[in-house]
Amino acid sequence: MTAANLIRGLPEARRNEAAALFRARGVPHRRIEDWKYTDLRAALGEAGVGAVVAQWLVANLPAGVEMFDLSQANPPEWVSAHLGHATGNVMSAASLALSAGGVALRVPKGMAIADPLKLDFTGTGHVRALLVLEESASLTLVESAAVSEFRNAGLEIVLGENAGLDHVRLSPADAEAVLVEEVNVRLAANARYRAHYAAFGGKLSRMEVEIALEGAGAQAHLSGVSVLDGKRHSDVTTHVTHAAGNTRSTQLFKHVAAGQARAVYQGKVTVAKGANGSDSNQSAKALLLGENAEADLKPELEIFADDVKCAHGAAVGDLDAESLFYLRARGIPEAEARGLLLHAFLEDAVAEIADTDQRELVRVELLTALKAIA
Amino acid sequence: MSIAAETKQQVADIGDKYKYGFVTDIEMERAPKGLSEDTVRYISAKKSEPAWMLEWRLGAFKRWGAMREPTWARVHYPKIDYQAAYYYAAPKNTPLKQSLDEVDPKLLETYKKLGIPLHEQMALAGVAVDAVFDSVSVATTFKDKLNEAGVIFCPISEAIRDYPELVKKYLGSVVPVTDNFFATLNAAVFSDGTFVYVPKGVRCPMELSTYFRINASETGQFERTLIIADEGSYVSYLEGCTAPKRDENQLHAAVVELVALDNAEIKYSTVQNWYPGDENGLGGIFNFVTKRGDCRGRKSKISWTQVETGSAITWKYPSCILRGDDSVGEFYSIAIANHFQQADTGTKMIHIGANTKSRIISKGISAGKAQNTYRGLVSVYGKAKNARNYTQCDSLLIGGDCGAHTVPYIESRNPTARIEHEATTSKIAEDQLFYCLARGIPQDEAVSLIVNGFCKEVLQQLPMEFAVEAQKLVGISLEGSVG
Amino acid sequence: MLEIKNLHVSVGDKPILKGLTLSIQPGQVHAIMGPNGSGKSTLSYVLAGRAGYDITEGSITYNGEDLTALAPEERAAKGVFLAMQYPVEIPGVTTMTFLKTALNSQRRARGESDLDAIGVLKLVRAKAKTLNVSEEMLKRALNVGFSGGEKKRLEILQMAIFEPKLAILDETDSGLDIDALRLVAEGVNTLRDPARAMLVITHYQRLLDYIVPDRIHVLARGRIVAEGGKELALELEARGYEHILKDVA
Repeated sequence: MTAANLIRGLPEARRNEAAALFRARGVPHRRIEDWKYTDLRAALGEAGVGAVVAQWLVANLPAGVEMFDLSQANPPEWVSAHLGHATGNVMSAASLALSAGGVALRVPKGMAIADPLKLDFTGTGHVRALLVLEESASLTLVESAAVSEFRNAGLEIVLGENAGLDHVRLSPADAEAVLVEEVNVRLAANARYRAHYAAFGGKLSRMEVEIALEGAGAQAHLSGVSVLDGKRHSDVTTHVTHAAGNTRSTQLFKHVAAGQARAVYQGKVTVAKGANGSDSNQSAKALLLGENAEADLKPELEIFADDVKCAHGAAVGDLDAESLFYLRARGIPEAEARGLLLHAFLEDAVAEIADTDQRELVRVELLTALKAIA
Repeated sequence: MSIAAETKQQVADIGDKYKYGFVTDIEMERAPKGLSEDTVRYISAKKSEPAWMLEWRLGAFKRWGAMREPTWARVHYPKIDYQAAYYYAAPKNTPLKQSLDEVDPKLLETYKKLGIPLHEQMALAGVAVDAVFDSVSVATTFKDKLNEAGVIFCPISEAIRDYPELVKKYLGSVVPVTDNFFATLNAAVFSDGTFVYVPKGVRCPMELSTYFRINASETGQFERTLIIADEGSYVSYLEGCTAPKRDENQLHAAVVELVALDNAEIKYSTVQNWYPGDENGLGGIFNFVTKRGDCRGRKSKISWTQVETGSAITWKYPSCILRGDDSVGEFYSIAIANHFQQADTGTKMIHIGANTKSRIISKGISAGKAQNTYRGLVSVYGKAKNARNYTQCDSLLIGGDCGAHTVPYIESRNPTARIEHEATTSKIAEDQLFYCLARGIPQDEAVSLIVNGFCKEVLQQLPMEFAVEAQKLVGISLEGSVG
Repeated sequence: MLEIKNLHVSVGDKPILKGLTLSIQPGQVHAIMGPNGSGKSTLSYVLAGRAGYDITEGSITYNGEDLTALAPEERAAKGVFLAMQYPVEIPGVTTMTFLKTALNSQRRARGESDLDAIGVLKLVRAKAKTLNVSEEMLKRALNVGFSGGEKKRLEILQMAIFEPKLAILDETDSGLDIDALRLVAEGVNTLRDPARAMLVITHYQRLLDYIVPDRIHVLARGRIVAEGGKELALELEARGYEHILKDVA
């Protein structure tokens, strides 16, 4: 199934609002604080963001999941209710205003879907997707991003009370691709979002994740790995807002950058006034393996409530000499020992993936990527 | 007496939380209100400056006209009307005093009230003081003793006249004239400040200190400090700041430049207690300060320690440029924001040389409706082999109406560098408070005790005389913040 | 088997070992005793080939070969094993994975074929049992969250699995209570073998009650200052290092 021509289900006012925001701000560049380490304008050059339509593909729709092609007219109520929720995110506004197609998916109330739903974005241009899990529904979403010259994908996720989503995203390596994706997740009370983003970089690759823990007891657990070589770049930018009390969030991101690659992590946690009992933990670590590799980490806290437990840690370095010696002293050759330690470094982030098959899949990808580096 | 009890006592004695809020009634001489090229010329003429200095100022003023006020910090304030303030105010008949006997007794009385004894025989042993009152330095103590050691410690206006070669060589070499909006403004209109030069191999025989006082209303203070530690020398410098209680906001835009050559060390401590405004956020100083140290030489070291309890708004990032191989930068900070205060403060550690090390310990305390932000940058350049940084950033919240924010930037371009950053946010735990109360310690004292404990790592860095004052301040600043 | 002649070692610019000479034959257990800072750990690291220890003079010969020319992993494959005082924690690598990787690396280096997963598991389980190392410990990341006793037991388990020719035990008794110490010592004693030499490095005589050495060397200020049989340990215990150091001074 591929998309046709227009998001006909998007109310005109929302499209206009998004278009106005994008017109006012333009394509982000390094002078914009949030894009300091990721110069989209420079990467796109004169071509700009264009208005070409990217595609989406759902190869096997698991039984019980409803699907609606956003290029079709007369969307069901659940699509118009949730599609195009304004966030102030400029590239999300661009994908909303400029997309001509996309897909909306829904898991009805109380339904637990066992088979993973596979959603692929392909082609060049802008595309939109909406995923709604109603109360107590659960699903595993597996997303893969095929390489292309430029793609800007906007994915909105709405989780009803007590709903649970496992999200695994794999972004393959490509030296020429410019891939930007915005994931916006809104969680009602006691809903759970668990995501893993594995990135292998592009000419520019940016994953922007905005999470609103709107209902009490909602939880978000994010993890990710990136393994970069050559001149590849990968940026993970997250913003988790604890808008309600007793919400929890954890983040664990690991980056390995070799050659002249650049790994970027920007993570902001906001605890709103009155969101007492919020608990957040954020950890970002990077290993630099190349003389000209670069890591930029910016873990940020914005706290407006006092009864909270918030912590973050960040570290950049190389492999631990002590561990390397220990392994070699037990007979493991240096190259192999380095490989083992690199895997170990990434492993705790990979271990966060709940689904066994998906976890193995990511491990295989990492193995390939690490071999290329070593 | 315990610190907490002492704090309590002090508060009781003064009967008010800001004990430096009085005004000295003294006849003043001022520049005409507003800011123009003429203002710049007026200040330069008042200081009898050489032509090159005037040119420097005018160049800065021209650049400033084309610059915009920065908006990236987490501070909010009404637009400043730069034409509505005085840029120069000095007690009449002050310049060129030869001895303390010639200083207006009212000024001596002011400093006595502030707890800064200028009479050398009364002064704490081993601390030399430069007292800056609004736009001029009114007294510098222990000059003779310092001269013997070859240490130059004088008002910067004097240094411009007496040591032009040193000033020309180093002024603006760490904070360029065009660095930022407030630094450029300072370059155009700075009136006084302190100049220190410690010659090769000299360990400065005493602590040097400058006491800054804003007294006149509607007046900005723009001091400029320049400290040069020549090869193998050492100096410890302290500064304190106070201002009267006024309903208006007054601007303080200072620039501090430190230069450490090979094997030199500079320790710079600040207890900043400008008037913070009242409980409703009325009045207080806008403290927009650019402080930067350049570890220009091999194995040089610059250490910043700051206790920031005052000012309505604090915007300052004392930084280190670790240029020399094996150089070391440190930043120890306590920032307390209560009521409607806003603090956005932190540091930059720029690792350029090999084997450079830096350490950042920041303790932020927010209470009332205050907003407190730590903003920092650790940047490791490609050539900074084996660079090391450790950062610990802790925030403490007292009450549910304030904010505590942490914005660290970590950039590494060398695979042998190691950077570690940790941050936590917590509140004063009920059980800690209860434990103290149950043992008979009153609430405010308990808060003071716990907060002083939270800040201990930083307080330990302060020279003894300041540490005691700082501990008291911590308690006073948070009076009534719980319960 | 091991011949150390006039060994001088510096760390940075600081000389630590200053002319150490020592010889160990197969089947023997030697103990090195010495006060803190005498260079005991330096000796163990130099034997295992850790970077940062510069040999400025002297030689180390192992089975007729210059040991110092070998990388740490080559030494391990040739049968040199160092049980470390502070075993390193490696998050993300399970103990089982580590044991399998190390065992097969050593076998490969010796031209032997890999043991398959089941073979390794069988071997490890059999040895683990005697040392009271639980299945659960083997599943955990290497040394992460292990108690002091667990870490030391795991070191001895590795010794049992790798079957080295020369085992160096660096302060294996440190941080152990008496039961843990007994367990570890029993493990070591079952590994005593006519073909295997051991070098037991310790500050206290206590360990030598359980692992009785053939010969004791006292290391102080970077060189061997006294030598003797097992009774020397008792003398040290009774009279202290100070006394012996004074005697030789």
